[in-house]
Amino acid sequence: MGEESKLERSLKCYLKYGAIISPLGNSIEEHYLAFFENKSGIRKEEKTGFNAENLFLAKIEGLENSRYNALLKQACEKLIENYSSSFLQNPKTGIIVSTTKANLAAITTDTFESTRKIIDEIIHPFHEPIIISNACISGVLAVNTAADYIRLNKFDQVIIIGIDVLSDFIIYGFQSLFALSNEACRPFDKERKGISLGEACGILVMKNTPDEDFNVEVVGGASSNDANHISGPSRTGEGLFRAINKTLERSEVSKEEIDFISAHGTATLYNDEMEAIAFSRLGLCHIPTNSFKGYFGHTLGAAGIIEIIMCMVSMEKNVLFKSIGYSEIGTTETLNVISENRNMEVNTVLKTASGFGGGNAAVLLKCIQ
Amino acid sequence: MKIISHSYINPKGAFLNGQNVLIATEENYLKSYFSELEIDYSKFYKMDLLSKAAFLGDYLLHNSYKDLLNVENELQFVFANASSSKETDIRFIESYERKKNPSPSLFVYTLPNILTGELAIKHKWFGENIFYILTKFDSDFFNDQIAMSFLRGNEYCLCGWVEMTGSPEDECFMFLVAKSEVVNENLSNKLNEILNNYRNE
Repeated sequence: MGEESKLERSLKCYLKYGAIISPLGNSIEEHYLAFFENKSGIRKEEKTGFNAENLFLAKIEGLENSRYNALLKQACEKLIENYSSSFLQNPKTGIIVSTTKANLAAITTDTFESTRKIIDEIIHPFHEPIIISNACISGVLAVNTAADYIRLNKFDQVIIIGIDVLSDFIIYGFQSLFALSNEACRPFDKERKGISLGEACGILVMKNTPDEDFNVEVVGGASSNDANHISGPSRTGEGLFRAINKTLERSEVSKEEIDFISAHGTATLYNDEMEAIAFSRLGLCHIPTNSFKGYFGHTLGAAGIIEIIMCMVSMEKNVLFKSIGYSEIGTTETLNVISENRNMEVNTVLKTASGFGGGNAAVLLKCIQ
Repeated sequence: MKIISHSYINPKGAFLNGQNVLIATEENYLKSYFSELEIDYSKFYKMDLLSKAAFLGDYLLHNSYKDLLNVENELQFVFANASSSKETDIRFIESYERKKNPSPSLFVYTLPNILTGELAIKHKWFGENIFYILTKFDSDFFNDQIAMSFLRGNEYCLCGWVEMTGSPEDECFMFLVAKSEVVNENLSNKLNEILNNYRNE
């Protein structure tokens, strides 16, 4: 395998912005401004719970009835504004979609059919989309998979779409697990009470050649299973610990180089505690860390993609964004949670995710200017 | 790339490396295979169709794991199907629409990758895992996935096509692949041949 490995190591992967639609806006610029002002997309939504409770959700205004299809269409239309059809339809352009539930409205037939149809009609890609449905780590897995396709020289560029929308199904499900917060979520805080659900669509474009301006390289990534419980986080953070360790090894990057960690941070008691334990075991507690869930809520299959987009904004603008909802550490291990926006050079970022099924994933990003 | 072993489960029977090992003795064929195999694993009963099928498909392969080294960390799960967790999704919707009581035990199975979690727990394996939705079984796709996995440094892939919706066409095809000296061997034709033989049994 020696010669071949060398060849593939020389193939590099660079991320570019594709599109982003969330309650905070429809463009990178709008998101940058909202994050700069620490605006949250989470609002109180009247009578949205199973027993008509008022829940705190990050809901996109103005989506039509078929919310999933409408959001996917909007995002794909944004993408084609910025990329040429010869790029998008190139036989060496692959397309990956990260979603947990896709279009649940079509549950009796095929919930994934509309995804393929909308993408085909708007983007006209050469290849059929590869869909990843691996709970809340889908987005990070999608970026790592895209990088693998480039390293294997199957594709020269990959479009990566992350999307999920709010539905009774998801809301009632998380309610049944007693996982929802009765206020806007507060990741890593002492008073955290659970998740705020959200909806969004993010699109990234990965290329094997850098652009002249700003580039973010995907250096390496990995996943690992907790082998512990199908819906509860590991008490020892074993899977996350191993996923990060493997990511650092594969990236050939040392812990000291990491400027910022974009954690999963769902704001449930057990998830945040698990992450803090894993970071502590790895000696990463001193590194500035945030969770973007206070801005977007938990957007499931979209989370990894839109959070990586915001990591790229941090690297481009050299600013670390405050972890909204946080005021006092609420995990046994003390983390360096970002409590105010901070201007600093951000070159190396670790993004992590954890989810149901015991899955954990990590990716290491480097800014090349 | 080398296929070490493969199994297949459908309503007609359970098969290992091309040989029929079990025939269903009751309509609930997954339960029937589980009883016939005399497995002591009570968690089986609370699993959804996807996890049950993958559990049995994996159990048939268990003799192949014996001689593998570093399997705990170096084995990746690569699974796919067409209908995700549709069968459980529909039951969960019924739990809140008709029974007016959203069921948490159903909700946790409304993700297809839960089956990889169940296998990881059973074996205490901490390896990589991914679940894809494809329109149909695609041997080239699996071939690429396995090549990528080995390129990343994994030594084995436990792969599965687990399409379980409660229909007579349900099937669970699993295969264990190891890295071998022959690096660029394409497994596509072999996988198609194996699956076609099973489907024609």
